[in-house]
Amino acid sequence: MENMQAVNSFVAAYLKKKGFKEAEQLLEDLQKESAPIDFHNDPDLAKFIHHFSQSEDDVARYQDGYSKLRSWTYSSLDLYKHELLRVLYPVFIHSFMDLVAKGHLQEARTFFNAFHEDHELMHSRDLQKLEGVLSQSHLEEMEFARSLRQNKVNIKICQYSYGLLLQYLHKTQSTAMLGVINEHINFQVTSGQPGSISDDTEVVTLIGSCQDAASLINQKEIHWGLLEDSLEERLEKEGGLLSDSEKAEAENKEGDVDDSKKRSVEGGKQGASTKKLKKDKAVNATAKSARPEAKPTPAAPRVKPELTLPVMSTEVEQSILEDLRNRVQLSSVALPSVSFYTFLNTHNGLNCSSISQDGSLVAGGFSDSSLKVWDMAKLGQQAGSSTLQGENDSTSSEHVAGPNGVKRSYTLFQGHSGPVYSATFSPLGDFILSSSADTTIRLWSTKLNANLVCYKGHNYPVWDVQFSPVGHYFASSSHDRTARIWSMDRIQPLRIMAGHLSDVDCVQWHANCNYIATGSSDRTVRLWDVQSGECVRIFIGHRSMILSLAMSPDGRYMASGDEDGTIMMWDLSSGQCVTPLMGHTSCVWSLAFSCEGTVLASGSADCTVKLWDVKTSTKAPKNEEKSGNPNRLRSLKTLATKSSPVYSLRFSRRNLLFAAGVLSKNV
Amino acid sequence: MSNVPKEAIEVIAQSIGITNLSPDVALALAPDVEYRVREIMQEAIKCMRHSRRTVLTTDDVDSALNLRNVEPICGFASRDALRFKKAAGHKDLFYIDDKDVEFKEVLESPLPKAPLDTSVTSHWLAIEGIQPAIPENASIEAPSDGKKAEYKEDGLSVDVKLPIKHVLSRELQVARNLNNFPLMFALMRVARSLLQNEHLHIEPYLHQLMPSIITCLVAKRLGNKFTENHWELRNFAAKLVASICKRFGHVYHNLQPRVTRTLLHAFLDPTKTFPQHYGAIQGLAALGPSVVRLLILPNLEAYLQLLEPEIKRHEAWCVYGALLRAAGLCMYDRLKMFPSLLAPPTRPVWKSNNKVATNKRKASTDTLMQQQPPAKKIATESAIGGSNIGVSSMSRPLSNDNMLGREVGGRVSKTSTVLAQAWKEDTDPGNLLASLFELFGESMLSFTPKPELSFFL
Repeated sequence: MENMQAVNSFVAAYLKKKGFKEAEQLLEDLQKESAPIDFHNDPDLAKFIHHFSQSEDDVARYQDGYSKLRSWTYSSLDLYKHELLRVLYPVFIHSFMDLVAKGHLQEARTFFNAFHEDHELMHSRDLQKLEGVLSQSHLEEMEFARSLRQNKVNIKICQYSYGLLLQYLHKTQSTAMLGVINEHINFQVTSGQPGSISDDTEVVTLIGSCQDAASLINQKEIHWGLLEDSLEERLEKEGGLLSDSEKAEAENKEGDVDDSKKRSVEGGKQGASTKKLKKDKAVNATAKSARPEAKPTPAAPRVKPELTLPVMSTEVEQSILEDLRNRVQLSSVALPSVSFYTFLNTHNGLNCSSISQDGSLVAGGFSDSSLKVWDMAKLGQQAGSSTLQGENDSTSSEHVAGPNGVKRSYTLFQGHSGPVYSATFSPLGDFILSSSADTTIRLWSTKLNANLVCYKGHNYPVWDVQFSPVGHYFASSSHDRTARIWSMDRIQPLRIMAGHLSDVDCVQWHANCNYIATGSSDRTVRLWDVQSGECVRIFIGHRSMILSLAMSPDGRYMASGDEDGTIMMWDLSSGQCVTPLMGHTSCVWSLAFSCEGTVLASGSADCTVKLWDVKTSTKAPKNEEKSGNPNRLRSLKTLATKSSPVYSLRFSRRNLLFAAGVLSKNV
Repeated sequence: MSNVPKEAIEVIAQSIGITNLSPDVALALAPDVEYRVREIMQEAIKCMRHSRRTVLTTDDVDSALNLRNVEPICGFASRDALRFKKAAGHKDLFYIDDKDVEFKEVLESPLPKAPLDTSVTSHWLAIEGIQPAIPENASIEAPSDGKKAEYKEDGLSVDVKLPIKHVLSRELQVARNLNNFPLMFALMRVARSLLQNEHLHIEPYLHQLMPSIITCLVAKRLGNKFTENHWELRNFAAKLVASICKRFGHVYHNLQPRVTRTLLHAFLDPTKTFPQHYGAIQGLAALGPSVVRLLILPNLEAYLQLLEPEIKRHEAWCVYGALLRAAGLCMYDRLKMFPSLLAPPTRPVWKSNNKVATNKRKASTDTLMQQQPPAKKIATESAIGGSNIGVSSMSRPLSNDNMLGREVGGRVSKTSTVLAQAWKEDTDPGNLLASLFELFGESMLSFTPKPELSFFL
């Protein structure tokens, strides 16, 4: 206690001498609060402070200290990271201004250049102002700088984060940082859990920035329209069975102009390469958030593919067209039929499931490293098919017959050496990709029942893998905080998307294949340009880890589901949340839009499938956007399963909804 | 600041053999330990989420340790939950009770059953947004939901709907009103009315309706007063069940099999009371002669043996009458179908059976025979004019009390064989008649169609 008294009095005296009234006040406050975190009771600190008083002019300490603090913050626990990140910005600007104030102009400039990019996103305007501070006198003259120096920044922080920060500062002896923090930051320590990431805006406004978080990135232009020359479009032109709404779409002017060209392309079957030549066409599908009031387009605009797309065979095209003609129109009054696949006897080992486009194949990834695929068409006629199956698969008998010669009802794919976390079918159902904790992605052929390729690239478990809507390309996301784009024929990734601050938990392709969306444990969703690999949108609003993503078929909206059961609907062009959808009480494992985008289905760990009316939610708030009171998305129907959490959902091209889940006893 | 007290660090240090740990070290280690634990938990929770689970397992923690390149902890993969016990004398000290296991015991214990292999089944969770009431789907907890849906679907007027809602909910409470006989009868009539109304879409509620009706058919006690004629209620319910099966059987293929299974169980269970047996027999009989042939006749003889000692009781008589009627109608049906195959009537010693036959007739008159006055009349006439012309194909004279199955062994076996074969389409109705006659006596004759009977006269 004596020691502590001595330190306190020394510090108080020091502060008084230096004229740090606020800090002195803060110290007193801290003592009064008798916070459980008592960093004064530390003999080493006395030494630090002595040390600090001796070498306060040491310029390198700022640069060094800040860079260490920064890297420590970025590697801290997810739960507290966003709180600690808030501290960085004030520390940065005040370190910079301290350096300027002490006359180390050159060093200040180096310091600024080294780290200003971190804050560019949130505080670009402030940084532009500060960049102009070139001498001590500027600090006095510039009103902004003066107000920053005079006022303390209020930061709300939870007790544990606060403790972590102080502990770090002690350990690393970064007294320069401790000084800055004491001098300019007023911590409002709250007990209990850390606040939500969305509270960040509050901080931003407190420190005088009028810009919204992430708004700079969200101003980039994106082309959310659908691919031109899609099969749907062709079907409409052929004058098939048209609904009224689709007729409007068929009147798309650009489409008419291109019509003759497309026909010729179609005949030549050189679509993929010749499409590239049409780049000179003006793209009318740009949507800038700068003018979100752009005239409402009746139908989704068309965009060019940025990737070389695989060519589709005629038979496949025909079958898809057939499906499109037979599609059931869903709406709030015409709900889909749901076929539910229940996994039995999984012994808690099922990690993921996936359903092929036509629902005939169901895959399950297990924690025992295996991938099992059931052919539902054969399952229906079990007795007759068992012998048939044996004959068909004689080439790969080890897949079908167990060690005892017992016939299995499924095809077993073995190859991974860790739990399989995700599986995805190619659009035609002839390939499966699986990702695993062994850091690899494997490509399997359902025709040959064999492993074709093993893609190595990630350094940590691969949480999710998704085929692109056209096949051939796929995206993966991993614990190594990156998402990667691959093509089936290369074992190296084509693009690496880095930027998330924590695990990338899920990934989803945009309908036009030019973008991918990723959801992360850092509670944000990001949209990436596949061609450039750049982040083009950041969606902030979730309060916990993102588990599932879905893109609307018109390419305009995105839904994301999180750990708490919240689903958020985002407008891709503006980057704003259209409406949060409350209803689920537990993790939303899966989301799926119906083929015409009118119904959103969500599957959750609370053993329900919910159907949401998307049309009312996305259209209605448009009108009353200004009022800032978006109405809740309407839940159309809750379908309860019999104690089976819903793992995956998939709408077939004919709008039949497939759902898969595992029967579990302890739910 | 730390949730991990320094005492915990001291305990851990002791457990790994470090005795001279200074308090400062423990104090410094505690927050770091907490941080590491939080870090591992953060990763473990991620692993749990990616395994699509909401419960954290030791596997998740192992995976998390793996991610951090830390050796996994062994010994916690047991299926049983770990129990922390309080150490005696310490307030906050807990330990895991880890029992020693004998190798011998483990080796000698029988191998556990091989776990079942994973499989996938499919069912309709919803058809056009409506969940079908099948066992694979979660039961709809509030029937009022269903009512509302129906209300929207068909555009009938409100004043028709409201009483239905009311009555159906009472309907579901039949089990609670088993003592209120008039109410039950009224409810059954309501059910019949509902079923007869073609404008009502009653199908979705059949599964709610059926248990109540079956209850009225085979309940142990219906009503609490002696005067209340529960037999009549059972007859009524039987007809109701039959009409439901007839109307919806082709849509729901498992409807009739389920009903018959329930009734057959009631019929074949000797521990059940006679009224229950009566209901079951009536229910089965109402489903048609083929059901009787298939399910009742093969069990008839054995059942009559069971019934015989109790035959003096009114209840047993009623059951006997029900059986008689069921068998008789069945035979009548056969005879109608194959008139040419008619075998000579079975007329064993008439007078010796007189008493029993009269009794029988009386019983059947009381309970069931109202529907058959002409046949009955003829039968009586034939009995009165009882000449012995129709010599039975097995014309061994019967001794007085042999009527109910105390026949000699060979005879019995033959009868039962005939009855057991009764389900076959090409059974000779003559043989059937003979066997039945043997069991029931001449009252069987009342079921013989008039022309055929006249043949014997």
